[in-house]
Amino acid sequence: MTLTGMKKHVGVLEEAGLVTTEKVGRVRTCKLGPRQLKEETAWLERYRQLWDSRFDELDKVVEQLKRKEKIDGRKKRK
Amino acid sequence: MDARRESEPTAMKNRTTVERKSDREIVVTRAFSAPARLVFEAWTKPELFERWWVPKSIDMTLLSCEMDVRVGGGYRLEFGHGASRSAFFGRYLEVTPHSRLVWTNEESDDGAVTTVTFEERDGKTLLVLHELYPSKEALDAAGTGAADAMGETFGQLDELLASLDANVGRSRL
Repeated sequence: MTLTGMKKHVGVLEEAGLVTTEKVGRVRTCKLGPRQLKEETAWLERYRQLWDSRFDELDKVVEQLKRKEKIDGRKKRK
Repeated sequence: MDARRESEPTAMKNRTTVERKSDREIVVTRAFSAPARLVFEAWTKPELFERWWVPKSIDMTLLSCEMDVRVGGGYRLEFGHGASRSAFFGRYLEVTPHSRLVWTNEESDDGAVTTVTFEERDGKTLLVLHELYPSKEALDAAGTGAADAMGETFGQLDELLASLDANVGRSRL
């Protein structure tokens, strides 16, 4: 690939948000861009939702245990 | 007792956070408005565990749940998904009542070691679940799998919500 071709190629990736570039002196450095990060965030968000829905149910179980303990405690005190 | 009770904190939803600590580690946290011994109980008694582990929204049924919660003891969860079945199993490496559980996930070579800690403060419990995978690829795959399952779920939820419009109050959930 020619240098011009490469520049064009990187330009397209940059526009798409897939990479970011930074030029220091004669060297241009490429890094993965924000879009890749966003996909990682989406992945984590789904993962979070899985645990969140589990924990919502766990909340209910724990609340029930709490209520039961209160009632049992009251009975014992009588 | 006062009719209003002691301003039940249940109405306030506790938030679940997820953080990828490193290439191979993921950490999930959540607070519960209950003492640690009750939260711990819900993780270690199969009859309680099976009531919350499978999100209602996922098209999966927990067919059986065996847990021998002591160091070296095993656990086995069997799931049904349509006509197919799958099992998750492993063993407990650490069991410290009301504060710490560590177990292996041995259904695949890429299974994580899961550590759950229960930290009680002012009657509330902070739960921290930490999963350490053997490789970055293993964590990526596990995460994508979970995300896919939830993706499917949300698709189904959309359909369900649409159908509920026509059928209010007769949810099969």
